[in-house]
Amino acid sequence: MATAFEPKIVGFLCRWCSYAGADLAGTNRMKYPSNVSAIRVNCSGRIDPTLVLKALSLGADGVLIAGCHPGDCHYTNGNIKTLRRFKLLQKMLDQYGIDRKRVRLEWVSAAEGEKYAQVVRSMTDEVRTLGPLNWKTKVELAA
Amino acid sequence: MPAKRIGVFICHCGLNIAGTVRVKEVVERASKQPNVVFAVDHKYLCSEPGQTLIRDSVKQQHLDAVVVAACSPAMHETTFKNVVQSAGLNRYSCEIANIREQGSWVHDDSDKATTKAHLTVRQSIEKVRLNEPLQPITVPVTRRVLVIGGGIAGIRAALDVANGGYEVYLVEKSGTIGGRMAQLSETFPTLDCSTCILGPLMVEVYRHPKIKLLRLARVEEVSGYIGNFKVRVHQEPAYVDVAKCNACGECAKVCPAELPNEFDLGLTWRKAIYTPFSQAVPPAYVLDAKNCLGLLPQACGECKKACDEFGTSCINLDAWPQTHELEVGAIIVSTGYELYDATKLTEYGYGIYPDVMTSLEFERMLSASGPTAGEIRRPSDGHVPREIVFIQCAGQREPETALPYCSKICCMYTARHAMMFRHKVPDGEAYVFYMDIRAGGKGYEEFVKRCQEEKGLLYLRGRVAKVYEENNKLIVKGVDTLSGKTVQINADLVVLAVGMIPSSETHDLASKLKASLDANGFFSEAHPKLRPLESPTAGIFLAGAGQAPKDIPDTVAQASGAASKALDLLSSPTLEREPTVAKVIGELCSGCGICIPLCPYTALSLNPKTKVAEVSEALCEGCGTCIASCPSGSLSLRNLTDEQILAMVEAMVAT
Amino acid sequence: MQSYLYFPGCTLRTMARDFDASAKASARALGFELKEMEGWLCCGAVFSNVDDNLMAKAGPNRILSRAKRDGDTLATLCAGCYNVLKRTNLQATHNSPSQQSINAFNEETFNGGVEVVHFLEILRDRISFPNVEKSVKSPLTGLRVGAYYGCLLLRPSGEMKLDDPHRPSIMEDLLTSIGCTPIDYPSRTECCGSYLSVSSTDYAEPLASNIVKSARSCGAQLIAVSCPLCKYNLETSQLRNGGDSTDYYLPVVYFTQLLGLALGLDPQQLELDPRQMKPIHEIQTLRVS
Repeated sequence: MATAFEPKIVGFLCRWCSYAGADLAGTNRMKYPSNVSAIRVNCSGRIDPTLVLKALSLGADGVLIAGCHPGDCHYTNGNIKTLRRFKLLQKMLDQYGIDRKRVRLEWVSAAEGEKYAQVVRSMTDEVRTLGPLNWKTKVELAA
Repeated sequence: MPAKRIGVFICHCGLNIAGTVRVKEVVERASKQPNVVFAVDHKYLCSEPGQTLIRDSVKQQHLDAVVVAACSPAMHETTFKNVVQSAGLNRYSCEIANIREQGSWVHDDSDKATTKAHLTVRQSIEKVRLNEPLQPITVPVTRRVLVIGGGIAGIRAALDVANGGYEVYLVEKSGTIGGRMAQLSETFPTLDCSTCILGPLMVEVYRHPKIKLLRLARVEEVSGYIGNFKVRVHQEPAYVDVAKCNACGECAKVCPAELPNEFDLGLTWRKAIYTPFSQAVPPAYVLDAKNCLGLLPQACGECKKACDEFGTSCINLDAWPQTHELEVGAIIVSTGYELYDATKLTEYGYGIYPDVMTSLEFERMLSASGPTAGEIRRPSDGHVPREIVFIQCAGQREPETALPYCSKICCMYTARHAMMFRHKVPDGEAYVFYMDIRAGGKGYEEFVKRCQEEKGLLYLRGRVAKVYEENNKLIVKGVDTLSGKTVQINADLVVLAVGMIPSSETHDLASKLKASLDANGFFSEAHPKLRPLESPTAGIFLAGAGQAPKDIPDTVAQASGAASKALDLLSSPTLEREPTVAKVIGELCSGCGICIPLCPYTALSLNPKTKVAEVSEALCEGCGTCIASCPSGSLSLRNLTDEQILAMVEAMVAT
Repeated sequence: MQSYLYFPGCTLRTMARDFDASAKASARALGFELKEMEGWLCCGAVFSNVDDNLMAKAGPNRILSRAKRDGDTLATLCAGCYNVLKRTNLQATHNSPSQQSINAFNEETFNGGVEVVHFLEILRDRISFPNVEKSVKSPLTGLRVGAYYGCLLLRPSGEMKLDDPHRPSIMEDLLTSIGCTPIDYPSRTECCGSYLSVSSTDYAEPLASNIVKSARSCGAQLIAVSCPLCKYNLETSQLRNGGDSTDYYLPVVYFTQLLGLALGLDPQQLELDPRQMKPIHEIQTLRVS
């Protein structure tokens, strides 16, 4: 009997807001599923949409990008650039036939530990329902 | 050079981690990772014995990279980097795996927590494997400070820096320093004479050997970065030799050009050649070339004739503007405030009825050096007003139609104004319409209470709907919410406590400095609690009402604080910056220029000769947004390259 | 001839036929037409503006979505209808869950996009007052008129944006262009009491009579309004104690009736009664003599 599917979600968290918010969730001992592994970047603006697609192609079932609320970016407006790129990325996902719900952009401030926990919980549930992406397998089958 | 001998240290953190994560298992799995030659656990890695363990292991095991799996890097990243450095490795050979705040503390299930801890450690191993050894970027510091704005904030900051031993340029747009405080009659809550406390400070600035005062000057251009700013300042001439002028006033007597006096907010007139106010510093006359009948060609010249004949022959009508190229290490911004345009508050009739005044105009009237030599008179007919209405929160705390915020000082100065009115007009009646009373400073509440209990001074909690004129009186229609009744007062004079807005040059200056402004146009502080004295832009410090409405005690305190920050910056001849900045591989760059406008710090530029992008390492803050935009992959972020990110991703998701 | 899609509203069909007639006649004289929209219904008046009763908003939304079929501009005369329709249109542009419910109920997809204009705006912005002045045949020179705005034309100012809410001038500018002498008086933007005149007469009556007193004491011979309810309140407050037969009585007219007179139209066509015509006859007599 195969084990139940547990999604693997890559998280890109900005150092100044969302990573700190995630830490706060920990300090407050909030509980959330362990499916999201966080990579700390200085700014969500570091995230090139191709990195997201590559992450999915390497085996991720979902990608979470978390940044500061608009207006609060430590680097003035990096998060706005992320937002612009995200909109285009969504169109690319549609073209690839990848469900948009697999890639999320969330604004989490350093004070929003609860929000981070909520995001992880809801995203994990959603991606679990969508099932494994299996990008590599799909590409092989198509070839 | 990828790391070949990686050491992994897993912390128990007492039971914080070990209580959920099976630490021994993580150690075992880590030791099986490629190039991991040493893996060990410890109860408290941040402790003295823990740090010693890491240090000794680096040396004994000849490690070239270290992963510490423990609490969040926000806690001890610096600690462990220092340890690794003290063991002889580059600081960037150390990576932290967060298995506590984002591991053991948030996952209940031991299996899941352990698996995740293992993945997190693997992730950090992949990152540290590819880290470059980096040295902090050292930049020299020009040990001089520029203060923009010569009000009380600028004066205090300049004095503190100069007394601290460094040269200061104080740039002021008008003909005198002193700012708003010079326009005040008294200050609350002590009712000190404003000029008496400000005057000596102004003279001190003027005489200070380390302060160079540039008045009639504006900042034109700012380039460079923290420790190394280049500022171009444009200075208009005064046409009067300060050293020779004795302020006799013979020139003003004969000057034919008359215009409203800004210092008295247009309540009096001045000539084109004038002294800003009687205690102006520098203590000399100034020729306002814009309002003079003409200098090119000379249309009048009467002032010069009078000065040559009766004065000290100190007027030179052939003077030219000067441009100063200043080099400074730190910039303190103290550009102060203006008042909100009361004509926009159409319900009060300011600008329509002459007897409706703003608080600052009333202040000038109270002042002994003001338009009425300190007597309170109606602007319309010069009579002494018997009934006066003060309206607080005029055009403030009104997000739909005017300013959304509170200007902090109006409750206090209105109380003072009402009190002064009662002293000067003993049979007068004053009414203050208020929403709330904000009197939070030292002695403030006591002062306001005194005013509220004063005879002939009535505080009404409510707003004023409308002011209109009837039979030479101003009919003020308001409400007293505490009694629940509408109120009508037939007043002789109405004073509006209008809000403080940032001074008009703020917007322009902010873009020149690349310093951000908040939603209301005031200079933003880097963090309201942790870094209230500095702009997010490195090297720029903030003081006074230009950052947010505040009273004089807070302004002076902030100015001294900003000065101390500047002194801190100047305390060493060089400055170290984080080296995790952007890097361009010139050979790969196609010169497309997409990255250039994205940088919030203008750290990227296109070299006009080589036509490829270049990064100013001193300006780059390492956000990485340019890297994400680069189509050719010639841009990378040191120690957070795409290669590293994807290696980390693979470590997480590959089965 | 330029034609504007027009929403008359209930009262202009009944109690305020004179407002409707004088507006249509003046419009024709100025070279444009008010074309009544298809399938209009009651706007619900101020009761439609409440936030906690979606049903009340169904009506105005239906009006606007029907109007939208024939164009994107809707002209109004009654201040109440103007207020309701303009604000409903603005609210509809935010596709809120409430808006979606209303649309589902109406079986329409209305998300704003109708420019609701008041007759005064057409005169000011599209015809222009100088052009109105050019069309004047018998200027009402010497007639001292107090323009009364009431509440609904101007407030809430952030949404209505017709003119400055405290010191408006659009009606005075119109009155000047037709030769009148507009009278400034303090109460011209104060509330007349609205529907309270029916339910709480004691409360509302002083409001209306203060406005009349204020206009009278500043020298007005006539009050010009743009709302049938304001007209009713201002007139009724004077009718108590036989006030209508005194010399102090201040007639209340619609601004379109004055406009029509100045454009040379017949007082009967404009449905003006002798009492309203009294001040006008006075100034005409003065002119002749």
